[in-house]
Amino acid sequence: MQRNPNDSRGTLPHLTTRTVHVELRAHVPPPLHAYVHFPWCLEKCPYCDFVSFKTERAAIDHAGYADAVIREIHLRTAAGEPFGGHELTTVFLGGGTPSLWEPSAIARVLEALLAAFPHAASGVEITAECNPTSLDEARARDLVAAGVNRLSVGVQSLDAKQLKFLGRLHDIEGARTSLQAALRSGARVSADLIFGLPDQSPEEAARHAGELADEGLEHLSAYALTIEPGTRFGELSRRGKLPIAPEDATCDAFLAIEATLGARGLRHYEVSNYARPGCEARHNLGYWHGAAYVGLGCAAYGFGFDEGSPRRGVRYRDDPDPARYVEATRHSLAEVTVTREPLDAETLLRERIMLGLRLADGLDLGAQARELGLAREDVFTAERTREVEKLVREGTLEREGDVVRIPPARRLATDGVAARLF
Amino acid sequence: MPTDPTLIRNFSIIAHIDHGKSTLADRVLQVTGALQKREMVEQFLDKMDIERERGITIKAQTVRLRYTAVDGQVYTLHLIDTPGHVDFNYEVSRSLSACEGAILVVDSTQGVEAQTLANVYLAIDQNLEIIPVLNKIDLPSSDIQMAKDQIEQVIGLDTEGAVACSGKTGVGVPEILEQIIKKVPHPKERNPGGPLRALIFDSWYDSYRGAVVMVRVIDGTLKKGQKVRFLATGRDYEITEMGVFTPHPVSLDEVGPGEVAFLAGNIRSVHDTKIGDTITDAKAAAAAASAGTKIEPLPGFKEVKPMVFAGIFPTDTAQYPDLREALEKLQMNDAAFVFEPDTSEALGFGFRCGFLGLLHMEIIQERLEREYNLDLITTAPSVVYKVHKTDGTIIDVENPSKLPSGQFIDHIEEPIFKVTIHVPKDHVGAVLALCEERRGVQKALTYASSERVIITYDLPLGEILFDFHDKLKSASRGYASMDYELAGYLESPLVKLDMLVNGDALDALSVIVHKDKSYPRGRDLAAKLKELLPRQQYEIAIQAAIGGKIISRETVRALRKDVTAKCYGGDISRKRKLLEKQKEGKKRMKQVGSVEIPQDAFMAILKID
Repeated sequence: MQRNPNDSRGTLPHLTTRTVHVELRAHVPPPLHAYVHFPWCLEKCPYCDFVSFKTERAAIDHAGYADAVIREIHLRTAAGEPFGGHELTTVFLGGGTPSLWEPSAIARVLEALLAAFPHAASGVEITAECNPTSLDEARARDLVAAGVNRLSVGVQSLDAKQLKFLGRLHDIEGARTSLQAALRSGARVSADLIFGLPDQSPEEAARHAGELADEGLEHLSAYALTIEPGTRFGELSRRGKLPIAPEDATCDAFLAIEATLGARGLRHYEVSNYARPGCEARHNLGYWHGAAYVGLGCAAYGFGFDEGSPRRGVRYRDDPDPARYVEATRHSLAEVTVTREPLDAETLLRERIMLGLRLADGLDLGAQARELGLAREDVFTAERTREVEKLVREGTLEREGDVVRIPPARRLATDGVAARLF
Repeated sequence: MPTDPTLIRNFSIIAHIDHGKSTLADRVLQVTGALQKREMVEQFLDKMDIERERGITIKAQTVRLRYTAVDGQVYTLHLIDTPGHVDFNYEVSRSLSACEGAILVVDSTQGVEAQTLANVYLAIDQNLEIIPVLNKIDLPSSDIQMAKDQIEQVIGLDTEGAVACSGKTGVGVPEILEQIIKKVPHPKERNPGGPLRALIFDSWYDSYRGAVVMVRVIDGTLKKGQKVRFLATGRDYEITEMGVFTPHPVSLDEVGPGEVAFLAGNIRSVHDTKIGDTITDAKAAAAAASAGTKIEPLPGFKEVKPMVFAGIFPTDTAQYPDLREALEKLQMNDAAFVFEPDTSEALGFGFRCGFLGLLHMEIIQERLEREYNLDLITTAPSVVYKVHKTDGTIIDVENPSKLPSGQFIDHIEEPIFKVTIHVPKDHVGAVLALCEERRGVQKALTYASSERVIITYDLPLGEILFDFHDKLKSASRGYASMDYELAGYLESPLVKLDMLVNGDALDALSVIVHKDKSYPRGRDLAAKLKELLPRQQYEIAIQAAIGGKIISRETVRALRKDVTAKCYGGDISRKRKLLEKQKEGKKRMKQVGSVEIPQDAFMAILKID
C-alpha cells in the first residue's frame, strides 16, 4: 500500500497531530476544497439521491462538460467569489460516475483549478469517485496520469444477491478486480460499502467490511442504507413494497463493522468512515470542519465565507440541469447559480456542531467561537452549557476543556445530540 | 322626553345559525334608513371576526330605529339582538323578555332546526307575538310550503300571513316591518305608577366608561344623573351616561317605560352587571328597605354558572403573564367566563377556566390565540361533579386532579342534560344508537312531520362534551341539529382514569369517566399515546390506571439509530434545517419524569375520539 507522500501525519499519535495542525493553521491561509460534480451514470442506482442521469458513455460530451466547468472556474475567480485568500488543499470529483469521464477532460479541469487557485505546496489531495464497471487497470492509470491521487471505489457489497438488490451493474469479481487495479495505480484507495440490507446479518456485514480491508485499503466508508424520498427505493418504500432491515440488525451491523475494522487498524474517525491514522479523506474532513469549498459543475454545492466578523457565509448550488448548466456557464455566474443561502455565524456554529460531532475527535467549541468571530458566551450559552452538562452526565458526550465529542458507544445517537446542542 | 309607549315596538329575531338572521337585521337597518347603503359593512350587527367567520352572534347589539309606517305614524323600533348559540340560552331568554314580539326566521331551503325550536319555546314562554318569516326565497332550493308546513307541524304556529323574504335581495322586508307595527303589542307598564324597574339584558366592557349595561325599562323612568341600585348585587351607581344606538350612539337624558337604552355609571366590571338583574331607584330601594318592604325584582333572574371547565396552558411558559392579561381582558367583557390559576406537572403553570359550554370554550380559546397571539394547550373539558364524601360533605369537583381518593368518596353525581335532537327519519337509528352508547335515557321520540323526528334524551353532560356533536353530525350526515339544557344531577359510578409514562402520571390527561367506559378509554388513550410519543433513547412504558390498578400498558421501544449515514457538502443545509426543526419541537416538549412529551402529543391526545 502506498501512502500519500505529502501526508506526514500518519505515524504520529492523533491528538498530538491535531494540536500541531491548529497552531500551524494560525499562520497559513485557510484551506479551500473543490468539489466537481459529474452528473452521469451508466445506470441509476435505486438508493442514490445524488443528481445523476443514466447515459451511454459515448453520448456524453466529455470535452464540452470540461469546458463548462473550466468556464465556471473562471467566472468564480473573476467575480471575486468568497474564496479569496484561501489555499486549495483538496479536489473531489463526485457524481454521478466521474470514472466515466475522459481522463484527458479531467486533466484539463484539474489543470485549470490548480492554475486558478493558489494551492498548498505540500500537494493537493485529488479524489475521483469510481464505479467498478468503469475502472480497470488502464483507466486507473490514466486517472492518475491526469492528476488524480486518490480513488474511491463504489464496491457497496461483496454479496451477489445484495449487489443485485442495490441495482449495481458489477459482480463480486468485478469489484475485487477494480479494487486491485486501483491499488496498483499508486493512488490512495478507499471503498464504499452499504450495510443495513434486508436479510443481512451483522456478522455478514462485518465480514464484507473485513474482506475489503484485507484487500489493503487505507480507507473505507460504510454507510447504513438510507431510504431517500425521490429515489426508486423511496418510492417502493412509500408504497410499502421495499423490504427493510430491522433497526436492531442495522445498529448491530454498525457496531460489528466498527469492531472488525478497528481490529485491522482502521479507525472509526467519522460516523460512516474508517481510515488508517493519517489516511483520512482530507476533502471530507474539510466539510466536517466547516471549511470553505468551491462547488463546480452541474448540481454542485459550494460554500464560502464573506468578509467581516462575526463571520458570515453563503452556500450556493449550481443549476442541476446539465444542458442548462453548460449553457449558463457561457453567460454569467448569476445564471449558473440557482440558489444562494446566506448563513450567519450562529447558523455556521450549528452546522459545525452537527458536523463536528460526527467525528471521533469531536469539535473544539472555544475554537469555533474564535474562528467564527463569536463571543465565547455566544457559543457557551446558558442553555447549551446546561445541555452539555446533561449529556455528559448521561454519558452521551465527553468534554475535555472546550472539546466535546460523542463516545463510540453513543455514536448511533449523534443527530439527537447535535439537535440538543443547536 | 320619553317616547310614547304606544309608538314603541320591541322585538328580536330568532333564527338557527346560518338561517340569515344578521343579513336580515342589516336589511332592516337599511330599509328604515338607519344605515345608508354605503355605510353598510356587511352584517353590521356582528362585530367580531370570529362571529362573522362562524356565522354566529356572541354579543348582542341592540339598536333603535325610526320607522314611518304605512299608517303615517313614526314608530320607534328596538331591534334587540340575541346571542345565537345554545350555550347562551339564559342570555337569550333575558333578551327575549325585553321584547313584546319576535320575528321567527326559518330558512326556506332547510326548514326548522332544533335550535330555532329551543328559542321559539323561550319566546312562547315570554308570551311574545311571533311573526314567522321564510327567508332565502331567492335561492333555487327554496321551498316555502315545506317550511310553512314544518312551522305549523313542529312548532304549532299559524303561518297564515307568514312573510316570504330574502335578506339578501331585501324582498319582503318592508312587509315584515308593517307586521311588526300591526301584530306586536306596544309595551305596557307591568306595575303602573310603581317604582322604577329596568331589566338588564346585556352588558359589555368599555375601556373609557367601565361596564355598560343595556336595559329595558319596564316601569317608571330612568334619568341621567339618577342614583340607581342593582338589586342582585345590591350596589348603587350614578348614571353618568345614557343613550341608544341608531346604530350610532345618541345620548338621552330620560328613558321611559317600554324604552331600551344603554347606561354607564363607573361600574367596575361586567361581573357587577348580572344579566337578568333589575335596576331600580337607589333612594326608593333604601326607603322600601327601611320600611321593611322591598322592591320586587323582575322575574326570571338566575346566576349564570359555568358548566364546563378546562385547563388552559401556554405552550411557551414565558407567555404565562401574557395569558393572564388576556384572560383578564376577556373576562372584563364576559361575565360568564371564570378562571383561576392552575398548575400541572405536565403542562406547567396555567389557568383552570370555566365556560357556559363547549362553544363558549372554543370561542375563548380562539380569541386568545387569534387576538392575543398565544399558543395554548387546552386539557380535556370536564363537567362539574358533585362529590359526596364519606364525612357527609358535598364538594364540587371540576378538575380530575382534585378528585379525592377513593376511600373518601361515598358517591359521585354528574350533571344530566335534556338533549333535543332533530333528525331526518332515515338517520334516527344511528342517532338512537349514539345516544344509547353515550349512556342516554330516552325521554321522547315524536314525528315532527312525516320526514323529521324529534328525539329527546337525558344524557350526561360529560358524554356530550366528549365528541358528541361531531358524532351526531356524522351519524346523521350533517342533518341533525341539537339543543340542550340542564336537567339535574344523578348518581353515577364514576372513576378517575390516569395515564402514566414510566410511572409518572400525566396529570393533564387524567379524566373522570364512567366505570364501564374506563377500560376501553384507557386502552385507547394508551394506544394513541404510543403512536404520538417520539421514540427516545430509552424504552417508555405507557400505562392507564384506575386508582393503583393498571388496566392497560403499551411500550414505546427505545430509539437506537439516530444518525445520518451521509453528511457531505450538498447535505449540510438540509440536515441542519431538519435538526433545527427538531430542536424547535424540543422547546415545545414537556418533561414528565424522565420522558419528554411533545406538545403535539398532548394536543392530539386531547382530541382523541
